[in-house]
Amino acid sequence: MSETDDTSREWAARIIDAASPLRDALGRRTVTTSEDERRDIDALLEAVERLSDLADRQGHEARHDRLNVIGAVRGYGEILAEDSPTLHPSLASTLPALLLAVESPIVLAKPSAEKKKPRRQIAQDPGVILAVDDLPENRDLVSRLLSKVGHTVITAESGEEALELLETMGVDVVLLDLMMPGITGSEVLQRLKEDDRLRATPVIMISGRQDMDQIVACIEAGADDYLLKPFNPVLLQARISAGIERKRWHDREDQYREQLERRERFIRATFGRYLSDEIVEEILESPEGLDLGGDLREVTIMMSDIRGFTTHVEHLPPQQVVQLLNRYLGRMTDIILEYGGTIDEFLGDAVLAVFGAPKKQSDDTERALRCALTMQAAMGDINLANLDDGLPELDMAIALNTGSVVAGNIGSERRSKYGFVGHAMNVTSRIEDAAGPGEVLISGSTRDKLPDALVVGDRRELSAKGMEEALVVYPLLEVLL
Amino acid sequence: MSAQHLSVLLVEDNALNRDMLSRRLDRAGFAVVLAEDGAQALEKMRDAKPDVVLLDMNLPIKDGWTVASEAKADAAIAAIPIIALTAHAMEADRQKALSAGCDDYATKPIDFPGLVAKIQGILPS
Repeated sequence: MSETDDTSREWAARIIDAASPLRDALGRRTVTTSEDERRDIDALLEAVERLSDLADRQGHEARHDRLNVIGAVRGYGEILAEDSPTLHPSLASTLPALLLAVESPIVLAKPSAEKKKPRRQIAQDPGVILAVDDLPENRDLVSRLLSKVGHTVITAESGEEALELLETMGVDVVLLDLMMPGITGSEVLQRLKEDDRLRATPVIMISGRQDMDQIVACIEAGADDYLLKPFNPVLLQARISAGIERKRWHDREDQYREQLERRERFIRATFGRYLSDEIVEEILESPEGLDLGGDLREVTIMMSDIRGFTTHVEHLPPQQVVQLLNRYLGRMTDIILEYGGTIDEFLGDAVLAVFGAPKKQSDDTERALRCALTMQAAMGDINLANLDDGLPELDMAIALNTGSVVAGNIGSERRSKYGFVGHAMNVTSRIEDAAGPGEVLISGSTRDKLPDALVVGDRRELSAKGMEEALVVYPLLEVLL
Repeated sequence: MSAQHLSVLLVEDNALNRDMLSRRLDRAGFAVVLAEDGAQALEKMRDAKPDVVLLDMNLPIKDGWTVASEAKADAAIAAIPIIALTAHAMEADRQKALSAGCDDYATKPIDFPGLVAKIQGILPS
């Protein structure tokens, strides 16, 4: 009891002090604007008088009486302030100090001339404040000061409760009393700074002047700021606002990082299986250079398949079909990725790959050509391994065509993939049909990209449905560069 | 914040405080009924059927806790919301007021705008 009892006595003494200029001013006054005002002034003076009578009394009863009388002083003071337009100058100049004194049991701030109506100020960026203090008066005071300007205040009466609340509530700033029974403020601070999710929450320590050494230790341990008791409400609000601003910056940074990570995950999920790691990394480094929404671009398209695959596997048990396919497709995938191609699709034994999307490079066509020859060369090894396992020998045909396609994420919301559409795709498919076993058949447009560097066989003309002109193709024999 | 046609029973033994609060409530537009002790409080609740009761806890004759529990046991007035006015800031004292049947509490010295908000909040709209 003694502690709270003392608080109310100190408070009363402070109010009496603050009221003395007012008493002097009002004692001399005889003229009042209204009967009500005269009555309220008399009541206020009487209440202050009663408070003086009670000032030195001790004990539970005295505390109760004092709080009642302080209530009366505050009530009449506020009534008079509400009628402030009609206030006499002597009252207008002496009332604010009294109102400030009755406002709270602890604050010892001087009224300042420039801020006439601090009560109506609203914080620019209201936040959620956790006030941790073992004394209920202090919690009430901080709650009142901060909720008045629009913050949401949560209170905890112990370090244990504070840590519990921090686990579950989104707190912007922690106001932490240093001296508390049980877990002290510095221990709460330490635990908070050890927690990855809470570390960024700004902490303002509150302590008495005598605990300066510990405050220094707390700042070193990561506290953002401190306030000495009794603290100035304006200073409290300023520090809280600064803390909220720090927290907002941090939150924005977090959001940005998360956005980047989300984008990276998306790109890896979209391309990881179809692109070389190198290209994935490059795309991640300059994500803005990558338009997945759809763009028209020139690419070299590669289609390959195993001639007569269905006939080959007709009589094989399913496990062997899968073994055969995986050996072949695994090797082809490695080669295509090695040459920087984008594998768009496997369709059974067929592979569709593209060079020049999502990332455009100057040597897309050349790489596609070399890639095709390397793939054909690799078939020798594959067939040797197949022979060893009693699997059939395979012949692959490859078609290459260079032309414009629309590249982008195509599909529905539920299922979409990075893919390509356009006439050039159909042309490639037509060339693929005409390619013979072991052959790399390239279109005239692909040949025209590197006219001097390619050794090709006899020119052929293909006719196709929906194509007015004959399609000119060449079997590729060698790349000279 | 229309307090018109709302009646408040203010139960407070401290004359200074009673006058001040009744004056402020009156200025805020409430119709104020006064009682000075616990016995009067119950009597006025039954007679005047106020919309809300502001009940000091340290009262002569019958204290606030007794008034609250007796009021809540009387079907005729049990529905009238009671806001305890207490000088005790301790959590335990608040709990004591609430468990006696008070619907809310305000700590002395009273923050008047806060009290009006509590009155508004406690009444069925």
